[in-house]
Amino acid sequence: MAIQTPGKRFGKRLEHSKVFGHGLHGKKSSNADLNVTPLVDMFVILVLFLVANFSNGEVLMMTKDINLPEAANTEELVLAPVVMVSKTEVLISGALVGRVDDLTREEYLNIPALEEKLRDMKKQFEDLHNAAQDTNAFKGDVNIQADKSAQFKIIKRVMFSCASAGYGNISFATLAASPTKEGESASRD
Amino acid sequence: MAGGMDLGGGGKGGKKPLDAQINLVPFIDLMAVTIVFLIMSAVWTQLGRLQVSQSGQSTSEDQQPPDQKQPVNLLITEKELKLSVGGTPFDTVPVTRDPKGRIDLSKLTGYLAQIKKDQPDQSAITLQTEDAVLYEDLVRIIDNCIGSQFPSVSVSPAST
Repeated sequence: MAIQTPGKRFGKRLEHSKVFGHGLHGKKSSNADLNVTPLVDMFVILVLFLVANFSNGEVLMMTKDINLPEAANTEELVLAPVVMVSKTEVLISGALVGRVDDLTREEYLNIPALEEKLRDMKKQFEDLHNAAQDTNAFKGDVNIQADKSAQFKIIKRVMFSCASAGYGNISFATLAASPTKEGESASRD
Repeated sequence: MAGGMDLGGGGKGGKKPLDAQINLVPFIDLMAVTIVFLIMSAVWTQLGRLQVSQSGQSTSEDQQPPDQKQPVNLLITEKELKLSVGGTPFDTVPVTRDPKGRIDLSKLTGYLAQIKKDQPDQSAITLQTEDAVLYEDLVRIIDNCIGSQFPSVSVSPAST
């Protein structure tokens, strides 16, 4: 038996009666309006929040080949040329400048291809800024985005190449860890 | 009028409704698509940088005249850390790791705090690093040095 709404029921015979049937309270409108204004408000706030918070991730290109180490006492990343050191390759601005295996075998201090590329970039920067009569001097900033399993032998050669090409302000890119987390681990140690 | 807009409507063809409604459905669609796009393209990892210099270079522009501060050196090898101040060595710190494989730096932190107490003006430290040392360990040591109030970190290869 079907579930009925509590109230007066006059039986099947009077179902269509205007007095005792559905006509008792008059017909309700079949169109129901949903108030969407709070939904729109919420969407607008969400969009503004997302745009404000996540528009500054252009400094580094994150790849799955490079696992950055964590550090707590970091500064904010600056926009500068990025030298990427993965487990297998050394790249600058996406261009391959050496393979880690080859670089490990060699006994040179620098990486010639990297140094040449950095010199080109420096010249380009200076030409552009001279043409625009920009007084903003070349600061020599460079970011090294290296995998945490990379050996210092490779990092040393990258750093030497950067310094030789005039990029003396070397920064190691890291994942920012919270100081409390580091503190906790230190106290646990 | 109930918040509606008076649209005139005093014409011959009967009365027009006074309330005008804006169709919000396309706007909601646009918002939904924008939110999905922003969430997908968002970078959720927070990045930072540790500024270092090669030995013999300075990161700060204002060079200070040489004074009585004794240079602080830390030799980093795969097996141990050797800290020295002005040629006087501290006890060697053997490299031990926690279950996560991270290098234990509690002893080094203690020594650095002691040096800072003796030489409050000293802010420079040179890390002489062997070739086989992992980048992760080096970064962790640099981070520790900066956290121990030695912000001018120089990195140089260990002399063999």
